[in-house]
Amino acid sequence: MPEMMPTALLFFLAAAILPVLPQYLRALLLLAVPVLAGIILWNIPEGMLAQVGFMGLELEFMRIDSLSRIFALIFCLAAFLGNLYAWHVRDRVQQVAGLIYSGSAIGAVLAGDLITLFLFWEGTAIASVFLIWARRTEGAYHTGLRYLIIQIGSGVILLAGAVLYHAETGNFVFERMQLGSPATWLIFLSFGIKCAFPLLHNWLQDAYPAATVTGTVILSAFTTKLAVYALARGFAGTEILIYIGAAMTLFPIFYAVIENDLRRVLAYSLNNQLGFMVVGVGIGTELALNGTAAHAFAHILYKALLFMSVGAVLFRTGTAKGSELGGLYKTMPLTMVFCVVGAASISAFPLFSGFISKSLILSASVKEHYYIVWAVLLFASAGVFHHSGIKIPYFAFFAHDSGKRPKEAPPHMLLAMAITAFFCVYIGVNPEPLYALLPYEVKYEPYTTTHVVTQLQLLFFSALAFTVLMRTGIYPPELKSVNLDFDWTYRKAGPAILRYLRAVAGASGAYLGSVLSGWAIGIFHRFQHSTGPEGRLAQSWPTGAMVLWIAILLGVTLVVSFLS
Amino acid sequence: MAAGRATNAAEPGAAQDAGHAVEHVALTLADQLPMLLILVPLVAAPLIVLLGSRRLAWPLAYGAATASFVMAVFLLMRVIGGEVISYHIGGWAPPLGIEYRVDSANAFVLFLVTGIATVVLPYARTSVAAEVDGQHGTLFYAMFLLCFTGLLGVVITGDAFNVFVFLEISSLSTYVLIAAGAVRDRRALTAAYDYLIMGTIGATFFVIGLGLLYMATGTLNMADIAERIADQTGNRTVRAAFAFIVVGVGLKAAIYPLHLWLPNAYTYAPSAVTAFLAATATKVAIYVLMRFMFSVFQPLYLVEVKTLEFIIIPLALLAMFAASVIAIFQTDLKRLLAYSSLAQIGYMLLGIGFLSETGLTAAIAHLFNHGITKAALFMGVGALVLRFGNSYCDGVAGAGRTMPWTSAAMVIGGLSLIGVPGTAGFISKWVLVQGALEAGWWPVAMLIVLSSLLAVVYVWRMIETLYLQPAPERAAAGEAPLSMLVPMWLMALACIWFGLNTELTLGASLSAAKGFMAGSPGLILAGH
Amino acid sequence: MSQDKHEDTDAFPWLGRRLLWLDNRRNVNRIVYALYGLCAALFLADFFYHKHVYLGVEELPGFYAVYGFVMCAMLVICAKAMRVILMRREDYYAPRDVEAEEYPEDQLDRAEHDA
Repeated sequence: MPEMMPTALLFFLAAAILPVLPQYLRALLLLAVPVLAGIILWNIPEGMLAQVGFMGLELEFMRIDSLSRIFALIFCLAAFLGNLYAWHVRDRVQQVAGLIYSGSAIGAVLAGDLITLFLFWEGTAIASVFLIWARRTEGAYHTGLRYLIIQIGSGVILLAGAVLYHAETGNFVFERMQLGSPATWLIFLSFGIKCAFPLLHNWLQDAYPAATVTGTVILSAFTTKLAVYALARGFAGTEILIYIGAAMTLFPIFYAVIENDLRRVLAYSLNNQLGFMVVGVGIGTELALNGTAAHAFAHILYKALLFMSVGAVLFRTGTAKGSELGGLYKTMPLTMVFCVVGAASISAFPLFSGFISKSLILSASVKEHYYIVWAVLLFASAGVFHHSGIKIPYFAFFAHDSGKRPKEAPPHMLLAMAITAFFCVYIGVNPEPLYALLPYEVKYEPYTTTHVVTQLQLLFFSALAFTVLMRTGIYPPELKSVNLDFDWTYRKAGPAILRYLRAVAGASGAYLGSVLSGWAIGIFHRFQHSTGPEGRLAQSWPTGAMVLWIAILLGVTLVVSFLS
Repeated sequence: MAAGRATNAAEPGAAQDAGHAVEHVALTLADQLPMLLILVPLVAAPLIVLLGSRRLAWPLAYGAATASFVMAVFLLMRVIGGEVISYHIGGWAPPLGIEYRVDSANAFVLFLVTGIATVVLPYARTSVAAEVDGQHGTLFYAMFLLCFTGLLGVVITGDAFNVFVFLEISSLSTYVLIAAGAVRDRRALTAAYDYLIMGTIGATFFVIGLGLLYMATGTLNMADIAERIADQTGNRTVRAAFAFIVVGVGLKAAIYPLHLWLPNAYTYAPSAVTAFLAATATKVAIYVLMRFMFSVFQPLYLVEVKTLEFIIIPLALLAMFAASVIAIFQTDLKRLLAYSSLAQIGYMLLGIGFLSETGLTAAIAHLFNHGITKAALFMGVGALVLRFGNSYCDGVAGAGRTMPWTSAAMVIGGLSLIGVPGTAGFISKWVLVQGALEAGWWPVAMLIVLSSLLAVVYVWRMIETLYLQPAPERAAAGEAPLSMLVPMWLMALACIWFGLNTELTLGASLSAAKGFMAGSPGLILAGH
Repeated sequence: MSQDKHEDTDAFPWLGRRLLWLDNRRNVNRIVYALYGLCAALFLADFFYHKHVYLGVEELPGFYAVYGFVMCAMLVICAKAMRVILMRREDYYAPRDVEAEEYPEDQLDRAEHDA
């Protein structure tokens, strides 16, 4: 029966046969697999559908319920759109990595126990790094290594947490947990790394702008949303998440304003959007969790659309820096239109997808009396419009004319963007089908006069602020630069401290070494003396050392045996 | 010689009944398996020399190894449930006669040794032809079979002195095999000489230990010794014997500070020999260590003398870290892998040190899993040596492009070495961590994970060399021949297979660990 | 503001040519004035319907408008101030850390890479 087969396996099998196929079959296979997986996931009943015995454990590979189903479905959709966007790619490495990555992400969402989750968790880490390395530049290589270390680290922490959890409870079941024991804190930390919690977030802004044009689109969909799912499954209603989430919505928008690389701007705004979802998980009511799921769904689509449009610009012009771009609307008007649709969606304009999903979380925060958090989220909503909604289309397609006259994006990219844009608008206009997919029943009406008017006020006055600042010249210009973020600690400060320590240790070590080697030579000479003229064996370093070691070890063993 | 007597005895639980088990004269071929297993390669070795034909040497060796493998599989199938086969050579009942005993512990090791030999030999054909002088080809296979026989004998015998004899057979032939690498690199001679000296010292210690035991008990049969020293654990002679045996065998097993022979030996030996030795020789020594520690001396005795806490565990931890760190800085892939072997031996010792069923299960499972992992890796390096003429990191840089299959197999082996889930290496480390947690040793569990991170570093260096460094200008070497790729991939796939299906490895290991933890009752002999 | 007055605009896509009026500064000004007007209208709209809200602060006329404007202005000014401390050259971390592709990827003609 097909539903008994773990969905991830479908992706892995396809990845296994993919390298031997000719290009067009490869591209077709890449499209067919997510569609097939989506159809299967849409139709199968709820329940634990695939158990596999492994080392005396029962691994649950297919936990289908309303929460896992919506995430798995949007992952299938994202994989399909990403692969369509990457139709032109002939690089087998990227194709295989993309399949394994999306398969692992779906597998992780459907995992019913911590071990299965860990397996797929690491699967996403290892597969995704190839999407960065596939760019084959030196910068991408080093970025990929940093990314890999952090992602693998997250997995290792998850495994450690799982083992402790097993020691505590006697099982590996992945269900709601209470923060408190070392086990749950470790698991929480592991999720937090993948979810880009503040101070753990730098891998995201580091890696996404470094990946290939198509790789970033794929990357943007899975890893972080998988973490959001894991938090929603394991830590719903954990209050600390509300404050973590609020901080997450807040600080990236400042960085986004001054960042030059538009893909990094999008990475910051991705981080900010994750904050909304994390707040939703932290509140943990039915409304809030619905909001998280709906927002993840809508977010994957519009974020992919934005990365696609900026990616198309990068593909055609060779740069995604705000300082190098401008005036592209003349020759890439369709890309511009899709970019604006994505921008409107992320900004939550009425009739676009963000409007009907973000408001669930905002009203949940008010209903649970988190007023400060609500104010922060409101500010973040305005801010996200500011940098993602205006800055991205403005600096890429309008602003001052860069003189670049690239061709319009290739047809398959346009098609992928068109489909994604259609979904963004469709969900915004007609939210009922999405609401029907959510984990709990939705009693929420997004289109009230109050909501529409207040939202429009918020957005247009933000736009007004942008315009005024732009016209008065206060708005910071786009400059070729990097901005220090927390990764400074491990990219600059850490290595510098290490170098310093090594220098200190080297100096003292040299002194210590000379003293020790003085002794050693003395002992060695005595040893030679005592073995007399036929000390030849002692001269051959390994043999001599070895004999010495044997003697020492035998002595110690005898002493231990006799004394005990 | 083949006329023997075999008896079956039920393992520990039914130990008392074993004495009354009905003996019967062996009539069927199946009853002679323990003897035939040794006899086939032992006879084939001189036959190769006598025939002197270069064309016949390899088929004979291969036939013998395969036959032994088949027999080992049969034996393993018979004893994996916990049964014990006791075979009396020439029909002489122990303790006077020599006894071969097969239980799940040594059947499992036999399975590993014969399996590796069967896989390595097809691989050796091309590799040896390229690396060893043509006219010595015949002798090479004879030596290989002798070494093979020695290892099998060490494992299968239930007689302490017999262990020494077979240990010497395998050691002497190993020296020759290592020296055969001199065609490629003259330093192989020094390496072999070093190992000769040190190996002999180790063997001498071992035989001194046996002598002391004989003094104390007047017998050489393991089970008999176990029975007679049970009530004289305070005896200084017995304690000295224990120390000598542990150190002597420890040298053969390359316990960390006694490892100095190993890196050179592995680096300069012909690649096929390295692959075979790395997967089997140290593992057999670890098995002997366990056999003496747990079956001849008792688990209770180990608790009493505290050797495990004060010597084995510290050395195991030292090996895990020191050897891994050294491995990171090596510039020769063979040497890198050799040091990683030392670190992995640390894991096995750690498992022994826990003195628990889980710990021993981990040790035995790791013994097997690391064996297949290292076989895959060393075969990969051997293929690189064949095409590039050396195994230095800069010499084989960029091999991932010219030799994709070899490199991919090495990556799988590397992942298993790290202990990535889904590979064999993960299983045994997992059980090992469980053992540590069971004993309540949290810090040790953390150390296991930490040292695995070191493994990530050196495996990464290997992958970086193969895939990410630009190939030198002249490099145009092609993929290794199929005769090398197939064995290599067999091992690589085995790494994955045993990472997913643990029925055999953990089943056999658990059954073996139970036998060991039962102490001498696990050794009790039938008809005695 | 096109640098090249004689640029062949016929080569632009259809939609691109339709949008060329955006190049005219006067047209841009018109859009800005339209935005001002829209904002004023939205602000006034608050007085013409009944708000269904939870918080007292929300009932203030134009709360969302003022909040949006003030916070965004603050955001930009704070961010601009952050630049003083945080901005570094592109090669701060490593010489080739942030690099533009040498050519647009689609013109590289790399068989293994992208089309």
